[in-house]
Amino acid sequence: MSVTTEQTASFGGVQARAATAMNAPRIAIRNLDFYYGSNRALKSINLDFPDRQVTGMIGPSGCGKSTLLRVLNRMYDLYPGQRATGEVMMDGTNLIDPGIDLNMLRARIGMVFQKPTPFPMTIYENIAFGVKLHEKLSRSAMDERVEWSLTRAALWGEVKDRLHSSAMGLSGGQQQRLCIARTIAVRPEVILFDEPTSALDPISTLKIEELIDELKHEFTIAIVTHNMQQAARCADQVAFFYLGEMVEVAPAAQIFTAPREKRTQEYVTGRFG
Amino acid sequence: MSATTASPLAGHGLHGPAKDARVARQLSVRRARRDRVVRILCVVATVIGLIFLASILATLLWRGLGGLSLTVFTTSTLPPGSNGGLLNAIIGSLIQTLLGAVIGTPIGLLVGTYLAEYSRGSALGNAIRFVSDVLLSAPSILIGLFIYQLMVAPFGGFSGIAGCVALAVIVIPIVVRTTEDMLRLIPVSLREAAVALGTPQWKVIVMICYRAAKDGIVTGILLAVARVAGETAPLLFTSLGNLNWSLSLTKPMASLPVTIYQYAGSAFEDWVQLAWVGALLITVGVLAINIIARVALRGGK
Amino acid sequence: MQQAVAAPARSAARTRRTPHLGDALFAGAARFAGVFVLVLLGAIIVVLALGGLQAFHAFGPFFLISADWDPVQNVYGAAVPIFGTLVTSILALIMAVPLSFGIAVYLTELAPAWVRRPVGTAIELLAAIPSIIYGMWGFFVIVPIMAQWIQPHVIDTFDGIPVLEDLFAGPPFGTGIFTAALILAIMIVPFIAATMRDVFETVPAVYKESAYGIGCTMWEVMRSIVVPYTRTSVVGGIMLGLGRALGETMAVTFVIGNTNRIATSLFGPGNTIASIVALEFPESQAGSLKLSSLLALGFILFVISFIVLAISRLLLRPRLKT
Repeated sequence: MSVTTEQTASFGGVQARAATAMNAPRIAIRNLDFYYGSNRALKSINLDFPDRQVTGMIGPSGCGKSTLLRVLNRMYDLYPGQRATGEVMMDGTNLIDPGIDLNMLRARIGMVFQKPTPFPMTIYENIAFGVKLHEKLSRSAMDERVEWSLTRAALWGEVKDRLHSSAMGLSGGQQQRLCIARTIAVRPEVILFDEPTSALDPISTLKIEELIDELKHEFTIAIVTHNMQQAARCADQVAFFYLGEMVEVAPAAQIFTAPREKRTQEYVTGRFG
Repeated sequence: MSATTASPLAGHGLHGPAKDARVARQLSVRRARRDRVVRILCVVATVIGLIFLASILATLLWRGLGGLSLTVFTTSTLPPGSNGGLLNAIIGSLIQTLLGAVIGTPIGLLVGTYLAEYSRGSALGNAIRFVSDVLLSAPSILIGLFIYQLMVAPFGGFSGIAGCVALAVIVIPIVVRTTEDMLRLIPVSLREAAVALGTPQWKVIVMICYRAAKDGIVTGILLAVARVAGETAPLLFTSLGNLNWSLSLTKPMASLPVTIYQYAGSAFEDWVQLAWVGALLITVGVLAINIIARVALRGGK
Repeated sequence: MQQAVAAPARSAARTRRTPHLGDALFAGAARFAGVFVLVLLGAIIVVLALGGLQAFHAFGPFFLISADWDPVQNVYGAAVPIFGTLVTSILALIMAVPLSFGIAVYLTELAPAWVRRPVGTAIELLAAIPSIIYGMWGFFVIVPIMAQWIQPHVIDTFDGIPVLEDLFAGPPFGTGIFTAALILAIMIVPFIAATMRDVFETVPAVYKESAYGIGCTMWEVMRSIVVPYTRTSVVGGIMLGLGRALGETMAVTFVIGNTNRIATSLFGPGNTIASIVALEFPESQAGSLKLSSLLALGFILFVISFIVLAISRLLLRPRLKT
């Protein structure tokens, strides 16, 4: 199990995880630049994502944090005119290398989006769909996988009696957990969360946060959030982005209590953003 | 914190089933291959579509340009072998198309205005929108039959005006569609600003909304003109066609499409040649209007 | 502020009365025009039905299933043109739908940004070309190609294979049902492709991204996400194409061969409601039974098109119009 100690430090009413040792990096970003056409949206980013820990990314809108997330699974490849240069190393390969098999890459690095995106099919099929892309499973193995991933997403109890009804009938929070289940069913190594709770009510948000806390025992997690309390609650380390630069990265407790940079301090104390 | 999520995990290994990388890679290769085949087919489909367009245009240029001369525009249709032109057909087409647009446009404009500004969700509005949309794609030959029964049979003769009315019936739903769409694009704030000045609603529509939606509405009218300029079927039973020079709206009237139809199927080489010239003229005209309308709409935005 | 607004005092009566009158007149005119469109459609149906009454009286329901069209005996039936209309239109759909789908996918997913607009416009221009031009092009370009290259080959290839042998039989004239369907397919491709492209573009990017996010290929995203998501509208677009094909007149008249016989071979000649009306009308006396039969055919065509177009509108409305 995890070695993280669940102590908390307090600052201004925000509970943050106490400083813990960072694991070895699962993904290492070096000198990453990103361009929308001629506009340089990320400037020489250097950042490590420690294995089986949560990296939170915060910063004002348009600071590049979501862009960075979309570099990691090459989502930007869908759009002409967007390109990245530099290194995003994972297991000795550069993920932004043009020769990489994108479908395999995305099977290893899953993503959960801002809004729940249930596919137009049943709950069961939503999960099985992604699995079938990468694995050949028997009927019973698939049933098991669906149950496993729904359980991991803390959704099994609520949907086990209606697996074969449409996913569109679920509530927003349930749909988002379904999307998480769909992502982990593919058995990725890394999961990217792009403001996963921005469209949800507080109770659903809490559930998702608890889930992230569980998932980090087996997955390396990167989460973009606008909500500093969320970053403090979920993340082991937090990176602060501003105007396309990564200003500072530090253990969560440190960045919220004793940031090194003035801009970070101004942001986390609500001076701007 | 983890109390709620810990319990359902009982009985499940934290580290779930491992993925078989070899199977995944095999599947990936197969899926990528299928994807590539589909991509190629999509490109092929698009190329086929473009080839059809190119083939039609090339055929028209190749067959039509050769017969293009000043006589085409200065001489009326004449018997085979006497070096006739298309003047009466061109003028007839212009008259009927423009008159059709002049009759149909105000009606279409009013209907579109009603749908966008007045009906707002009423059953009558929905019914009118539905019927107008159906008319938009209704077989044009039936419009011809309808006007024949209404204006030709009872008065005992084919007439240019009947052709105009038939074309007007086709113009109406096109103008309705674009007018409504364009009026709906106008921001509520603009209307509210005008109303806040104490402007009566009809003046808001006529002075503000029409002006703001002008480019779109004009585009719609142009597209309607382009559409009816090439219509043949509704004219067969209304203005009939006329091989002699006539500008009378109460007599049969020539038109380019009907003349092309008569000439293309004839056994005389010079008539077939003239049919190609007419086809080239009408296609260039129709496509030019279309392109101008699109550019105008794009430039206005 | 308040003082500035209140400054110019005016007669309340004058400012109120005139706008009311103008509003009432304009609203009345708009409403009247709207009702006029309703009446127009009703009038088309009634006029065609009344015109065909004589034929319906003379032949009864037998009119629908009779394959006769004999001006000498003055006996008319609608079976052959109805058959031809349905067969050519459905055959056209079978050819046009895959082609349109490919074009729509290319335009939404594959084409580089600078190619999208010109190619999209070119495909739309295909819809602007008048039907009679398709007829001439079909007659002078496609028919010879069919007669010389395609039909002899196909007839040879399927010779001896049951069913197919009969479906593709007969002398290779180049004209006929198949050629008419081919031209119709080309004519309706822009309508179906444009509708498909428009509805594909309504799928929120985040849905596509989440499918790509678990490793889907472009084709898997289209098949499993985009098409199911837009299914009703896609069917609506196809119905719109069908509605267009059913009533198409000039293009078909040029290439179908115009024979009132139910063809057993796709290469055989036939006719459609629209083509028989266009061809036979000039030879019909006012008030004759033949003219009434043509009007009755027109009424039947209108009913079929109305149903198809109505379904198309109902399926398309929720997505394309808010």
